[in-house]
Amino acid sequence: MSTRLQQHIIPATLVLGLALTVAVLSFTREPAESFLFPRLISVVMLLLAIWNFLRAILGLAKVGTGVSAATFKTIAPGVLVMVVYCFYAAKTLGFYVAGTTAFFVLYSWYDAHSHKALSSWVRRIVVTAVFMAVIYGLFSLLLKVQTPRGMFL
Amino acid sequence: MEFLQYFGGVFEPMAFLLLVGGTIGGLILGATPGLSPTMAVALLIPFTFQLTPVHGLILLGAAYTSTVAGGAVSAILLKIPGAPANIATALDGFEMAKKGEGAKALHVSFLASGIGGVIGVLLLIFLTPVLAEWALAFGPSHLFWMAILGVTVIGSLDSKSFVKGLLSGCIGLWLSMIGYDDIQGAERFIFHDALTGGIHIIAALIGIFAIPQVIEMFSKGRQSADVQVVTIQKQSFADSLKILFARKKALCIGTVTGSIIGLIPGVGGQIAGLLAYDQAKKFSADRDTFGTGNPTGVIAAESANNAMVGPSLVPLLTLSIPGSPTAAVLLGGLLIHGIFPGPDLFTNHPQVAWTFINSMLIGQILMVIFGLYIAGYAARVARIPPAIMAAAVLVLAVFGSYSVQQSMGDVYVMVSLGIGMYFLEKSGFSAAPLVLGLILGPIAEANFIQGSMIANATDGATQYFLTGTLNLFLIVLVILSIGYSFWSSRSSKVAS
Amino acid sequence: MKKLLKSLLVPAAIAAATVTGPVLAEGYPERPISVMVSYGAGGATDFQARIVTMVAGNEDQIGQPIVIINKPGAGGRVGWNWFATEAENDGYTLGAYNVPHFIAQSINGGVKYSTEEFEPIANWGSDPAVVVVGKDSPYNTINELLDFAKENPGKLTLSGAGLLVGHHIAALQIEKAIESKLAYIPTKGGGAAAMKAVIAGDVIGGINNLSDAFRASEAGSVKILAVADIQRNEEFLPDVPTLMEAGYDVDNSSVNFRGIMAPKGTPPEVIDMLAEKVPAMFENARIAKQMKAGGSPMKIMNRDEVLQMWSERQAYLTELLADLK
Repeated sequence: MSTRLQQHIIPATLVLGLALTVAVLSFTREPAESFLFPRLISVVMLLLAIWNFLRAILGLAKVGTGVSAATFKTIAPGVLVMVVYCFYAAKTLGFYVAGTTAFFVLYSWYDAHSHKALSSWVRRIVVTAVFMAVIYGLFSLLLKVQTPRGMFL
Repeated sequence: MEFLQYFGGVFEPMAFLLLVGGTIGGLILGATPGLSPTMAVALLIPFTFQLTPVHGLILLGAAYTSTVAGGAVSAILLKIPGAPANIATALDGFEMAKKGEGAKALHVSFLASGIGGVIGVLLLIFLTPVLAEWALAFGPSHLFWMAILGVTVIGSLDSKSFVKGLLSGCIGLWLSMIGYDDIQGAERFIFHDALTGGIHIIAALIGIFAIPQVIEMFSKGRQSADVQVVTIQKQSFADSLKILFARKKALCIGTVTGSIIGLIPGVGGQIAGLLAYDQAKKFSADRDTFGTGNPTGVIAAESANNAMVGPSLVPLLTLSIPGSPTAAVLLGGLLIHGIFPGPDLFTNHPQVAWTFINSMLIGQILMVIFGLYIAGYAARVARIPPAIMAAAVLVLAVFGSYSVQQSMGDVYVMVSLGIGMYFLEKSGFSAAPLVLGLILGPIAEANFIQGSMIANATDGATQYFLTGTLNLFLIVLVILSIGYSFWSSRSSKVAS
Repeated sequence: MKKLLKSLLVPAAIAAATVTGPVLAEGYPERPISVMVSYGAGGATDFQARIVTMVAGNEDQIGQPIVIINKPGAGGRVGWNWFATEAENDGYTLGAYNVPHFIAQSINGGVKYSTEEFEPIANWGSDPAVVVVGKDSPYNTINELLDFAKENPGKLTLSGAGLLVGHHIAALQIEKAIESKLAYIPTKGGGAAAMKAVIAGDVIGGINNLSDAFRASEAGSVKILAVADIQRNEEFLPDVPTLMEAGYDVDNSSVNFRGIMAPKGTPPEVIDMLAEKVPAMFENARIAKQMKAGGSPMKIMNRDEVLQMWSERQAYLTELLADLK
């Protein structure tokens, strides 16, 4: 039951919630002409979400593996770094400093090589430096994209 | 045969150097997640200031041709389409790569692109006056029905679950409505300032495809360094050719669909690949193997998205109407050099016009040669450990989505959609219908509203949307497509 | 001794830095400057902005290259909203303005900008709106076309780039002048899509930019019937009458002025420096040649002239749009 709950029922409930919110918003906002299309789509979306929810409750839903607790534990640190990097660090620290840090932290965390040997740390630093140099060359020098500078660069 | 006189221009040292450079650069830019053809061409315009008009156009044309094909590389190896045009390529291409057939997928993809592309440019050379008439035949009501035809594909695009496929499409359609309504200017569903400009398709594409792949690589944890993202078996060129020519039907469907869609201003090449993929699937005897690594899918999608390149320039070169965002950027590039496209372009500036078109023809062939060469190196890309790959794709995704409009908001949208998509995919929803909804929503809505406004001033909506040969033809296609989806989902249920 | 010197020098240095502002501007610009265009790449505003800024990197001009970034959407609202709220006011992020578009939108409401939020630097071009019909259209003069509109209120479909842009303002002025209704059809794809609708015959006629219409008429796909300006355009369309000459009370309020501006709060010394250098840069012969080749009329105005033009437009548009509500 618990696997079915997290595999099918929770996602179906969340999607139903989204469809309801969209429908309520579409039908309460003005001007009506601008919301004609959203209204049309939200009705179809709501019907489909109810159908999907019923299938989940009745145990008819077959597709989808869900995310197991073990997988969740493995991805959590990575997703956390991703969120901090994108929503906070990139703008505050500057794109290149934040990118370098995120790359190094993620690479080191998920790297299979020894975390005690000096040689593997040297490799991590070298790979990070080379990759960021390529990124700098491509975006800053070649394409002249101006990235947020933040505190550093 | 006037164009033959101007072939010499392509092979002048400077012109040929630019052509080769533009092709290789385009392949690399196209393969970089986040750099779409439109962006690559826009970013290259400043370089053309220093060049003569002919040379500038050769560079832009070569980049346009090869970025479209280059997008297939990341679609196949990483399941990250470089541009909307390559979404359909990822569906079977990545499955092939997972089976170790990455090199095979890349080979057929470049060969199909080349063949589709050459035919597209030949259409541009020989049939421009006829095709221009065609391009103008599509008014708002027809474009609306075209978009609806695209929507009907949504249900059958996802082979796993009919309801979840449709629901994914609806979520995509809803996401496309976020931001200022383009015609009336009203605010819709703006929960955060980053959403005022709406969801940019490229930022969404990066998030929806790249981020779930990154998280997927995280989920492997600290595995031994020998574990590769994908393994790549050696693939002989002759065998790839054999595979391609055993699937002539898919190649034809792709090329024809791509050429027609490319011609219609306002639809653009974004959906050519997906529609061709869907058609090839419907007409295929082994349609159940689509989505599990069938090369036919890759061939249909890639021949379509390169066949679209030539015809998409027809309205631009003859009528000065840019039919797609990339064509609009090319128009800017022409105007900067004082060249007005129009019917007399070929009489006033034959040198420029024909050299440009010829260079696209040669560019297609160069693209295949360099593409096949790159496919050989793809094995090395695949040997990169998941930890490095995940970190690299994430950093590229952030830089790529930021560069689209130099906006932090796009980065927030990209990563939020990406994390959401990871969990949605785990619950059986799929990315391709969602993106299709995101692309088609604005086309359907804008043309419906514009059509209704015209209809109100003339004969009324019924008359405007439901009469006329082209409208009726498209409506019949829509009905056939819906009927087919129901029939096939039923028959597959009976079979199981 | 060293300590004493330091204690004397440090406050002096701080004082110097705070009092003499230009110190800050002297280093400016030390890196490339970006100019935000609120329309898509390839559109008239975009390619003109690219032409007029192409010599910025020369030593005798600004000395740093100018990079164009596009933030299109909702007739320009997306880009200008971003510019008013998020653009950094350090002088490295400038924007392109389109008058009357942004002023009309700010009067209509629902946006986060107005003339108060922006600091003009200089104007580079003026592109009047023109009335066009397809090449096979039965209408050959503006009077024939508008007589149809007078007799059939709401039946004359005219395409334009969007709501509350110059084309729409021209349509509103025409409606007022003929005391009848038009069916103004805004398009999503900007001026190019509006022109396509005219050429393909989706609509009876259209209101479009002079530069785009000139190209289309050179290509033989449209007829230009009138210019919404106070005088004829001698350079490109000497034979096309103004609406005023044809007997309609429509002035130059819909003329699309394009220029460069900075966000509010940009250091005054940076604004002064740009206000001096940018109009001089627009005078460059190479720019003039490329603009003419692209069919784009130039009109160079300095900061004070633009400030005056903005306030005139603000007053007129407030009145025009108030009439409509």
